[in-house]
Amino acid sequence: MTTGVLRLRKGGSVLSENGSLIGLIVLVVALTLLSGDFLTVTNLLNVGVQAAVTAILAFGQTYVIISAGIDLSVGAVAALSAVVLAWTATSNGMPWPLATGFALLVGIACGLVNGALITYGKLPPFIATLAMQGVARGLGLVISQGSPIALPDSVSHLGDTIGSYLPVPVIVMLVMGVITAVVLNRTYAGRAMYAIGGNEEAARLSGIKVTRQKLITYALAGGFAAVAGIVLASRLASAQPQAALGYELDAIAAVVIGGASLSGGKGKALGTFVGALILAVLRNGLNLLSVSAFWQQVVIGVVIALAVLLDTLRRRQAR
Amino acid sequence: MTEEILRVRGLRKRFPGVVALDGVDFDLRPGEVHVLLGENGAGKSTLIKMLSGAYHPDEGTIFVDGRETTIRTAEDAQRLGIATIYQEFNLVPQLTVAENLMLGRPPRRFGFVDKKAMYARAQEMLDRVGVDADPRAPLESLGIARMQMVEIAKALGLDARVLIMDEPTAVLTTSEVERLFTIVRQLKEQGVAIVFITHHLEEIAQIGDRVTVLRDGASVAEVPADTPEDELVRLMVGRSIDQQYPRERSTQGAPLLEVRGLTRTGVFEDVSFEVRAGEVVGLAGLVGAGRTEVVRAIFGADHYDSGEVLVDGRRLPRGNVTAAMEAGLGLVPEDRKGQGLVLGADIRENLGLVTMRHATHAGFVDRAGQTKAAARVAEQLGVRMSGLTQEVRTLSGGNQQKIVIGKWLLAEAKVLILDEPTRGIDVGAKVEIYQLINSLTAAGHAVLMISSDLPEVLGMSDRVLVMARGRLAGELSAAEATQDSVMALAVGELEETA
Amino acid sequence: MQFIKPAAVAAAGAVLALGLTACNKSSSSAGGGGGDIKIGLSVSTLNNPYFVQLRQGAEAEAKKEGVKITVTDAQNDASQQVNQVQNFVSQSMKAIIINPVDSSAAAPAVKAADRSKIPVIAADRGVTGADAAQTVASDNVAGGKLAAQELGKALGGKGKVAVLQGTAGTSAARDRQQGFAEGIKAFPGIQVVAQQPADFDRTKGLDVMTNLLQAHSDITGVFAANDEMALGAIKALGGKAGKQVKVVGFDGTPDGLKAIQAGTLSADVAQQPVLLGQLAVQSAVKAAKGGKIEATVAVPVKVATKDNVAQFTNGA
Repeated sequence: MTTGVLRLRKGGSVLSENGSLIGLIVLVVALTLLSGDFLTVTNLLNVGVQAAVTAILAFGQTYVIISAGIDLSVGAVAALSAVVLAWTATSNGMPWPLATGFALLVGIACGLVNGALITYGKLPPFIATLAMQGVARGLGLVISQGSPIALPDSVSHLGDTIGSYLPVPVIVMLVMGVITAVVLNRTYAGRAMYAIGGNEEAARLSGIKVTRQKLITYALAGGFAAVAGIVLASRLASAQPQAALGYELDAIAAVVIGGASLSGGKGKALGTFVGALILAVLRNGLNLLSVSAFWQQVVIGVVIALAVLLDTLRRRQAR
Repeated sequence: MTEEILRVRGLRKRFPGVVALDGVDFDLRPGEVHVLLGENGAGKSTLIKMLSGAYHPDEGTIFVDGRETTIRTAEDAQRLGIATIYQEFNLVPQLTVAENLMLGRPPRRFGFVDKKAMYARAQEMLDRVGVDADPRAPLESLGIARMQMVEIAKALGLDARVLIMDEPTAVLTTSEVERLFTIVRQLKEQGVAIVFITHHLEEIAQIGDRVTVLRDGASVAEVPADTPEDELVRLMVGRSIDQQYPRERSTQGAPLLEVRGLTRTGVFEDVSFEVRAGEVVGLAGLVGAGRTEVVRAIFGADHYDSGEVLVDGRRLPRGNVTAAMEAGLGLVPEDRKGQGLVLGADIRENLGLVTMRHATHAGFVDRAGQTKAAARVAEQLGVRMSGLTQEVRTLSGGNQQKIVIGKWLLAEAKVLILDEPTRGIDVGAKVEIYQLINSLTAAGHAVLMISSDLPEVLGMSDRVLVMARGRLAGELSAAEATQDSVMALAVGELEETA
Repeated sequence: MQFIKPAAVAAAGAVLALGLTACNKSSSSAGGGGGDIKIGLSVSTLNNPYFVQLRQGAEAEAKKEGVKITVTDAQNDASQQVNQVQNFVSQSMKAIIINPVDSSAAAPAVKAADRSKIPVIAADRGVTGADAAQTVASDNVAGGKLAAQELGKALGGKGKVAVLQGTAGTSAARDRQQGFAEGIKAFPGIQVVAQQPADFDRTKGLDVMTNLLQAHSDITGVFAANDEMALGAIKALGGKAGKQVKVVGFDGTPDGLKAIQAGTLSADVAQQPVLLGQLAVQSAVKAAKGGKIEATVAVPVKVATKDNVAQFTNGA
């Protein structure tokens, strides 16, 4: 009995730390009641797969938002990395592990350029990454000449399942999530992100090399975008220059729903994960319930607002 | 006896884990200056925030003009004629003085802002407080003292009958304080009731009529303003403090910090001095003499054009905070909230900010070790907190300052540079910080302390350097240093060049 | 040197960049016989292979006719498209081809060109509220009907069908949906069990189809309003695509035709974007030389199936 109580209490603290988790639970309960098809193992795995790309992008975005920045280029960088992967693996016949590594490097390089523009060039993050959004999207179109490139089978296995049940995208998402939690909680880079986002000048005067840490932050976001792009392309078995259009906004929404503050210094990997799940569960549920095309956008907008509202209300009450 | 304009009875307020106010009574009559005295964390801020509508009391009543009132919002307070001037001004630096004075309610004609009327009205408002400022000038072009006057003028423009001033003198120079007092006396004559918060005990007799002392969230006494300072301190701290400046001199060793010919064109020039192990060197001077600029350059936070800085005999590279830190320098900056702390992070995180580099192995921070170290220092400094995970934002000023100093204690800085270490801090916490300085120098560390509080400089320094107009105007031993000799140096060169 | 301001440097850079892109553009034109005829083509978006093919057809035809063609990409932004057409007018193009982002939003631009007596050809989508000299389009409503017939045939006249709709609010989504709804009435044995938007996007097609299969595991047919969504749906159906579940797509893109060959896509209502581009340029040249042109040209919509797919793949 005692252990049961203890566990409950621990659950309670996780709940109170994450207002968005309550939102997710409410959503899941509501959908379970409304649709008999929702709460099945296959459907939940589907939701996981559908959340994967947004979640991975959002994990990368979490770093940036915690350090009081913003990255509008993640969707475009994901598409560029995917195109680079397909292009090197098909046209240039590169073996797939090498091609994957190369795609990852492209993402990291984009992130480093963002970071350099922001630190050395003193551009506001919004502008620097908006510029990168255009450049990455454009380069993707240039390389692919505007058409989708089919992925070789060796790579598209990344979008399949292990055995007959376990989808690789879900595994990748969970791994990236754990990496994010570890980076944020345990590493110097992660702790520096919180300090820089909370008060950049205080961080600098405490000996944190702000320029270097910001470069790392944006490089991580770029790298995560590349991973998201690879997962996206392997799910479709095709790399598309126009893929992941507008995903950066979903990613930012997921991070903010997860309790991060756009003014920096706050945010958690778990929160972001919950935020991404809320978006995916919602889209899945709307399909299951056959909600009309026009109303879907309304519902998504309302739920995003409600999720964040719930979190701020909870915080205000805690005061 | 005039009718009380404001009466507060049995005010109580709880925050999670803390009782901020525990039964406060307070009265205010028109035309009086009522000083609110108490250590940081005693509940002064909570009280004024309730009067200005930022917090709601859990229990207790507020009477305005004898009627029971609830003040829910800032607008409620404004309607009742209560205006508050916080240490952080509610002004927009980029707008003009006139726009700030009429923020949100500019005079309008046909839906457009009537600029002519706005400037005329602004001039009247400025004249009322007797401040010389151009209504058309951007606010940021004014110094901090005149910004404060603008804030006062703005409050009066809203027909304030009660003016609450939260440590208005903390950021002012002696002559600016005099001007402020002149204005306060004028307002008194006009019948404005003033709540005045200060940590400078000598100011109480000068400006106040009555004093209410708060301690641990409760009002413990109401005494006349001419009560002796010792008695006020005793009421405030709950015990008597024998010595306000308990400096214990330690034996001096080799020079730890040497500064030679440090120059940044137009800011400071040819600054040379040294600080020895076990020594406290005070850096005095008027605000704007370049003291903060010099120490920031020493610490690598800003660049300098020529000269050199040596720590323990080794030369530091320019503009490199990390190198300065590694060499054993530490800086407690003047702007605690803006530069010293990550306000949204917790105590543990802030204390570990400097040591995090060394507690990192293969990219991973030893957080358990960091927590342990933070707990040790927090205990040693006597930080009043609910736990290591309390947000630093919610700490009182004195406790916040202890955290900033604490992070350098953890880093075992050999030379600690303190820039206005006790600004806005109550007597009890001040003495604790002085004792900390003693223990540092006893352990062979060196301290360089900037302070605009002359008694503090004189009381705590083994040697006093005086800066004027970007240059070192002179050096005084502890025996030579007096209010007069320091001020002569600080002002002297001004007069020569003027 | 000290007089050069950062803004000036930026401006110089911009001019240089423009020059480079201009060079790029002229390389896609050719200095042939009809030399001084310049045509402008504003494409709604080059983020979609269909319109990329349209551009290819137009450029190839321009080369053949020996006229210069300038192609701009409106990036699905109607106001940007208006700017581009206005620029064409001030560059005194002899004819303008517009592939409208939005049929009514294109009207002001077309009117401006009309005032300057420059003939405007509307390609793929019509212009409402202004007179284009000619509209070259394949009929989306007819195409939708055709798709319904093909799906009906493939299902043998009975079954449960899901529809993947295009981006809500676009004319293509609306027209194809309307045509399909009309066409499917001819098959009383077929029941449309779900209609959900997937925004003409392959990833969304995959996600939405996966979700629909949860709620309706007994689906036997799918109509996707473009090939991208159809390919996403096929991915979701896995081994069932083309066997237990018949999928019909729309557009006839290279990837779509490949799926026909593979047997996963049962039929594809193929528009002929390359032909559409060619016809538009032909009319534009004719109009530029002062010739008379028809008010509408209907580009035939064809159905690609496994039997005839070869003629489509060679065509482009």
